[in-house]
Amino acid sequence: MEKHVVRDIPRRKFLELSMKGGLLVAATPALLTQLISCKNGVKTSSGMDMDKEMLSKVISRALEKGGDFADVYLESRISRQIVMEESRFKSGLYGISQGAGVRVISGNKTGYAYTDEITEEKLFRAAEVASYVARNGNQIKPVNITETSYPSFVTVKQPLGEIADEKRIEIIKRADQAAKDYDARIKMTMVDYYDEIRGRVIATSEGIYLRDELPLLFFIVQAMSDDGKARHMARERLSNHSGFEMFEDVTPETVARNAAREAIAMLGAEEAPAGIMDVVMQNGWGGVLVHEAVGHPLEADNIAKGIGAFTGKTGQKVASDCFTMVDDGTLPNFRGTINYDDEGTEAKRNVLIEKGVLKGFMTDILSAKQLSLTRTGNGRRESFRYMPIPRMTNTFIDQGKDNPADILSSTKKGIYVQSLSGGSVNPITGVFNFTCREAYMIENGRKTNPIKGATLIGSCMDVISNIDAVGNDLDFGPGICGKGQAAEVSAGQPTVRIRGINVGGSKA
Amino acid sequence: MNYIDLAAKLVKKSLSLGADSAEVFIESNRNLSIQVLKSEIETIEEASSQGAGFRVFVDGKMGFSHCNDFSDRSLEDTISKAIAFAKLSSPDENNVLTDDKGVTAVEGLYDAGISSLPMDKKIAMALELEKLAMKDSRITKSSGAGYGEGESEIFIANSNGLLKSYKSSGCSLGVSVVAEKGNQKNTGGEYCSRVFFADLKSLEEIAAIASRRAWELIDPVMIKTQRAAVIFDPEVARSLLGGIIAAINGERVLQGASFLKDHLNKQFASALLTITDDGTRARVIGSAPFDAEGVPTIKNILVQNGILKSFIYNVNAAKRAGVKSTGNASRGGFSSLPGIGTHNLCLEAGKQTQKEIIANTRKGLLLKEVTGYGIDPVSGNFSGGASGFWIENGEIVSPVKGVTIAGNAFDILNAIDMMGNDLDLNQTFASPTFRVAEMQIGGK
Repeated sequence: MEKHVVRDIPRRKFLELSMKGGLLVAATPALLTQLISCKNGVKTSSGMDMDKEMLSKVISRALEKGGDFADVYLESRISRQIVMEESRFKSGLYGISQGAGVRVISGNKTGYAYTDEITEEKLFRAAEVASYVARNGNQIKPVNITETSYPSFVTVKQPLGEIADEKRIEIIKRADQAAKDYDARIKMTMVDYYDEIRGRVIATSEGIYLRDELPLLFFIVQAMSDDGKARHMARERLSNHSGFEMFEDVTPETVARNAAREAIAMLGAEEAPAGIMDVVMQNGWGGVLVHEAVGHPLEADNIAKGIGAFTGKTGQKVASDCFTMVDDGTLPNFRGTINYDDEGTEAKRNVLIEKGVLKGFMTDILSAKQLSLTRTGNGRRESFRYMPIPRMTNTFIDQGKDNPADILSSTKKGIYVQSLSGGSVNPITGVFNFTCREAYMIENGRKTNPIKGATLIGSCMDVISNIDAVGNDLDFGPGICGKGQAAEVSAGQPTVRIRGINVGGSKA
Repeated sequence: MNYIDLAAKLVKKSLSLGADSAEVFIESNRNLSIQVLKSEIETIEEASSQGAGFRVFVDGKMGFSHCNDFSDRSLEDTISKAIAFAKLSSPDENNVLTDDKGVTAVEGLYDAGISSLPMDKKIAMALELEKLAMKDSRITKSSGAGYGEGESEIFIANSNGLLKSYKSSGCSLGVSVVAEKGNQKNTGGEYCSRVFFADLKSLEEIAAIASRRAWELIDPVMIKTQRAAVIFDPEVARSLLGGIIAAINGERVLQGASFLKDHLNKQFASALLTITDDGTRARVIGSAPFDAEGVPTIKNILVQNGILKSFIYNVNAAKRAGVKSTGNASRGGFSSLPGIGTHNLCLEAGKQTQKEIIANTRKGLLLKEVTGYGIDPVSGNFSGGASGFWIENGEIVSPVKGVTIAGNAFDILNAIDMMGNDLDLNQTFASPTFRVAEMQIGGK
């Protein structure tokens, strides 16, 4: 039932039924929301400063009935989105959002409540609702909160707040033009520009008090080719926690041409073969395969429940010797970089699997306590409307020794996967699926004709044991990870070869 | 707060701030979620929330903004931003708002009784559900059970004098368990959601389905790569039909981004295929008296006997296509622009029982789970991971896991040759069992 999905950017998020009980709840403006300056404390609409003393009182109230831990999370977001479709600016979207969540943990139980209104009265009410689970629980005395500081891995040269909207418009126009100029068979482009500034205040019963604001940029170009016989929608994305200088490092033209190149290349796609085959995955966003197939099963929540695929395997050999996998929330300005997670634990570089041996899981406060593990800084949440759960940040297969060209040339027959649309995994059984976006046949060590988007399926344990070559060309790509709530992540890998994956082609 | 008056007031405010026309969408929600694990409460989440989205047109250009802070200053700032952002957009003659004041009478949108049921009863139901799902000895672990409920009230006002609102509710029960045998592990879950609490399936029924799904695929065989019949169980019909829905989105059709763009009024699928979208069906979660921009809902016939009868539209895409809105504007909440989506989809039932369909299959796969993205709405390409049961000479011989199925949408949809009678109209996406005569299956 619980499936983890890294998906394409949802152009529109329809009402979805979910186990979260939010039947008709406009679940969250995943990406759209606001910040009001953190510099002088988070201000509410009434201009009230949310001071430490006030937050201490909310924490005390939350623990009044009992409990082992309580925290308050305040968030504000300002977002801007500009959408171009068919070379016309469809709409500008501006969003402001603020709110706060109060959580109480008592034993294995968690109570959570949130409010859109950051007032003393509403926060106390949320604290009372959250404390329902702590009846008859432990009693602790909260530690006085004091200012905490961690290093930042996000640098900004051109702050988003100082960028005129005309500059955003220009970036979009340049991308649109570059995609159309690439080839006359590019019939349509869609360009999505999104930026936000998200401010957080975190106060916990362990005495942590943190506040910061992080900028995020997300730029997506889709290009559709049509030659009268075939049609392909291609996509390229660029995303960083950074200022507007992101577009100097990688120009909008580069992003657009990459999308257009894929769209044209795939017009000639033939039917993919069906059955078990060797797969070479190009460096970069293909890392989403390990994000799904191995990353989700290494999140500690299902391990704490005793049902995850890797339960009880710490210290054991679970993958090939050439396979090392890392989750690192500190990579400078990366999309998955967090400085600290949404419950106040400092971000770290966590080696999950080292030379094939399982080293550890990604934890949040609750699962770390349940499993007596250290906190890895992976407790993240989409917004104040969600409680934190273990999530990935920047997850990747670490650099190997093989030359990528040799990996290809030593593969006699198989599939060369240049990019994946995304996929999902059942973290309990470890069974995964991915859909190829751009892929080619490999014949006698050479890339030959492109093939239509086939699904790759397998089990996480098999796939990491069957990786027999890891390149020295580590690269990353940005994505949105869904696990009941969204998180911005990046996934990466060098070129790798996996022996024997089941490919869902339409040709025998 | 009186949201209906507020919505009307904010439309006027938008006009006074410089919009030529304006729409205000306000949403107010309450929700509760209870999760239990191993006979203990795992999480309880409860909240109320609200938000407003503003769509304005200035010189034919569209701007949009949203906020969840309802102070006067914040609302005014947010509207001003939408107006400023409109100036960045391109003019579009199709940027108009509906003036249809009609409201479709739909029965059973709201169950006023849900919120007054005691919390302890809801917790007890989730606990009991988990216990029942664990009863079978083949089930070794629980991955949790839950109860959820939500209430929502929507208010839409626009400068054509539209002022509408409705209240809706929903509740749900779900459970997921694990069956193990040796090194094998399989999960099974069931989830039931209804507008009315009284309509929820019994705990016993939900538990039995979850439990069966977990153990029924234990001891699978691997089949050879081959072409064979594929029978879609009602639960997995969505995996195939979802792509059709995305391909009949009127806006995507106008953009040329649909494999069905040139097939209106043409036979593109088997004559056994009839698909309707009905926003007016009583006591179903996808129903509403009007869509996300205030156009009254209707029952639309999308595909009739394999002929594509209609695309689906919101106001903008309909005007561009020179047709009327089909009442299919859809939003992901107050923070999103109205896009296009369906209400309650239904694939019309045929005459055969699932048993008869299986009995008439010499060699094939009864599909119980499909993974992947379904039909690609742009190219019509389909590929997915699959599991289910292998059929030989009209009988199920063994479970199958870890195979793939693939094909082209036109080939697959034209090859539907049997349609079942096992349609459950309580689902927002309702389909009977159907058979595709032949598809490519990837195995060993």
